[in-house]
Amino acid sequence: MGKIETVDLSADLGFAVLKNPVIPASGTFGYGVEFMEFFSLDILGAFILKGIYIDARDGNTPPRIHETAAGLLNSIGLAGPGAEALKGIIKQAAANTKTPIIVNVCGGSDKEYLEVAEIFDAMDEVAMLELNISCPNVKAGGKCPAQDRWHTYRLVKEVRENTKKPLIVKLSPNTHDVPSVAASAEEAGADGISLVNTFLGMAVDLEKRAPVFKNILAGLSGPAIKPLALKHVWDVAQTVSIPVIGIGGITTGRDVLEFILAGASAVQTGTINMVEPCASVRIIAELEETMKELGIKNLNEIKGKLNT
Amino acid sequence: MKDEMCSVVENRQINKKYYVLKIKAPYIAEKAKPGNFVMLKASIGFEPLLKRPFGIFYAAPPYIWLYYEVVGRGTELIAHMKPDDEAQILGPLGNRFPEFRDRNILMVAGGRGIAPIYYAGLDYASSNRVFLIYGARSAGDLNLVDDLEKQPIKEIFLYTDDGSAGKKGFVTTDIRRIIEDHNIDVTVSCGPDAMFEALAAEIGGMAVENYVSLEALMGCGFGICYSCAVKTVEGDYKKVCTDGPVFRMEEIAWEK
Repeated sequence: MGKIETVDLSADLGFAVLKNPVIPASGTFGYGVEFMEFFSLDILGAFILKGIYIDARDGNTPPRIHETAAGLLNSIGLAGPGAEALKGIIKQAAANTKTPIIVNVCGGSDKEYLEVAEIFDAMDEVAMLELNISCPNVKAGGKCPAQDRWHTYRLVKEVRENTKKPLIVKLSPNTHDVPSVAASAEEAGADGISLVNTFLGMAVDLEKRAPVFKNILAGLSGPAIKPLALKHVWDVAQTVSIPVIGIGGITTGRDVLEFILAGASAVQTGTINMVEPCASVRIIAELEETMKELGIKNLNEIKGKLNT
Repeated sequence: MKDEMCSVVENRQINKKYYVLKIKAPYIAEKAKPGNFVMLKASIGFEPLLKRPFGIFYAAPPYIWLYYEVVGRGTELIAHMKPDDEAQILGPLGNRFPEFRDRNILMVAGGRGIAPIYYAGLDYASSNRVFLIYGARSAGDLNLVDDLEKQPIKEIFLYTDDGSAGKKGFVTTDIRRIIEDHNIDVTVSCGPDAMFEALAAEIGGMAVENYVSLEALMGCGFGICYSCAVKTVEGDYKKVCTDGPVFRMEEIAWEK
């Protein structure tokens, strides 16, 4: 395996081939348009919009973030303009790029998930749907569908039966058996799995002798979670036969290749987009360089081929 | 706005906790307007992970100046920066203070809030009459006074909580009288939230236009993370980074 001159960066998801495997994650990339001042959205493999519900949401009472060692706790509360307003934003983004736009579908109930999914399934400008099954569910006593494989199965099945676009299901790591939830999503008809969403954590304000966040718990992201994310991607990739998109602490081209080796077909960049607006562009360039250096002609050559 | 790799020119310690950082930042310096801020990465790696927000203290291309107080891990690292060190800086960010001509403007600064007030005050002074109220906890926090006294400011009123410099009191102590005596028609202020709450209570009802520049815990600085939310009187949230940092005082719901 020597240095090579040209490499193929494309990522084959089965239901779509992306020009490269780097996809900015929901909640860390706004609605895409905010980044157009920094770079052309055409550079990306795809991008995922901030999660959306039917109605506009204000989000949680501050503080909403807290820095931890190499990580970030957040309790933003999925603030957003609502589905109707998002349609206009998507048209604006789509007018500026051919890169696939992925809508992150949220819901406080199964009915709302379905409604949101149907709205964006009907939009030509939307390439795929990512079902965010980590939203607190009113009828499930605040638990999210991702914490229960039966709930995941019912919800994914219903959304799958009523929509046509490729459906990616985004899993939470905050459940005891992530692979079985992934298997349920696959059985219910999901086209792909993305993981992980943030890990539940907390922070304490010693002076106030109180939790930092009003909700006590918050979601941990950033480089701190990369080893945990790799483990979940590895587990799930060995369980399902649909493509897996790896997420968690990715900040370099080498990180991307590590997730591909662990079984991912593509990856999402998250917190690093907040720290460094051009991070995804840098990561794509590093990926190409690293593949040349390591003699990797294309991603399929190493996908899931971890020597164990 | 641009994420620019910049080099440190000078990092001058004013006293034990306060510094002025001079940075060569050609793009940001060229585009900067009074009231804008920047996000500065204090580390090369992930400790700390996030950039830190600073209101621009002054800009003269190709340089910008930041006035900062060491308050935590990020500013501690920045305090150790040396000439020729490089730092990633995103900016200029946020909106600017409104432009005025031929007005009587009262600038109000609390502690490190003097940074954007200094920049705006100098800008206003060329075509307005500028007055300044500047308060801080104690003498060691009330910096840059010698410099301010050389600027074309009509009158400067200084206060400290403990009376160790200027008059013992707060920026609000004589503000009503100052507004009346000098026919002030605009106030422009920057400081901690507690100062704004006191200001709003004291001068909110007066026939004066009031602008505030807010400080907030920020993740990104360019509107994508939704961390720096501030509640308005309408009951919704605005983002300090992209809707602000400058707001009409009347827009913000001050009482916690």
